[in-house]
Amino acid sequence: MNLNLPEIKVGSVSVSTTNNRGFTPEEVAQRCTDKLLNIADSTPPAIRDQAIAYKKSMEAVIALYMKEAIKTDRTTVYNAIKDAGQPKLAEYIRKM
Amino acid sequence: MGFSGNYMCTSFKTEIMIGVHNFTTASNVFKLALFTDSATLDATTVSYTASAAAGGEVTGTNYTTTGEFMTSVTPTAIGTTALVDFSDVTFFNVTITGVRGALLYNNAPVSGGGTPAVCVLDFGVDKAANQGDFTVVMPTADASNALIRIA
Repeated sequence: MNLNLPEIKVGSVSVSTTNNRGFTPEEVAQRCTDKLLNIADSTPPAIRDQAIAYKKSMEAVIALYMKEAIKTDRTTVYNAIKDAGQPKLAEYIRKM
Repeated sequence: MGFSGNYMCTSFKTEIMIGVHNFTTASNVFKLALFTDSATLDATTVSYTASAAAGGEVTGTNYTTTGEFMTSVTPTAIGTTALVDFSDVTFFNVTITGVRGALLYNNAPVSGGGTPAVCVLDFGVDKAANQGDFTVVMPTADASNALIRIA
């Protein structure tokens, strides 16, 4: 007899932390690609190698665009702080 | 006393049969609260309110009691397994120590009110962040790893 009994399960999480800083674009990009692309252990070696290479390439592109997003947001923050009458603080943020 | 593994709360199993939880993106507000190992969270945990009252929720700079909101996605099925995936949850610019695990709970259930518990997550060891970010990374959303699965 083939019993197909339903089971409800909970997965395992992991934790990433930083001290005295936030996550770098590279660290966030790695989490992002881990979310987007899961390479199963059972994947044939040739396909697995290609998938890993593709994942690395995606990670680099995502990190690059994240850095760009940070820089362009800093321009917005710079102007908001400068308009609020804090040019020195604005300049400090621009140079970060 | 303390964490002893990941648990799907038994009360949650009953509640999904009577429509207390709706995991679609816009309908409910699920939250993740962090606890130290002095909390007692396991399959018998029924709600955030009861757990917080029993003590052990993390305290620290920029950590807000009751935890952070979670972003859920519409439940889906892969093969014969139904699953719910959540985005990673980050507690930004916090100083917190001794974080041993978390309680995922429903802050706005469809019926019955309260803060019914969904599952208990054990981090395995104490975690900490000092004036930094603390991210709980969710597992891959597939039939073998997703956070909540009905196989």
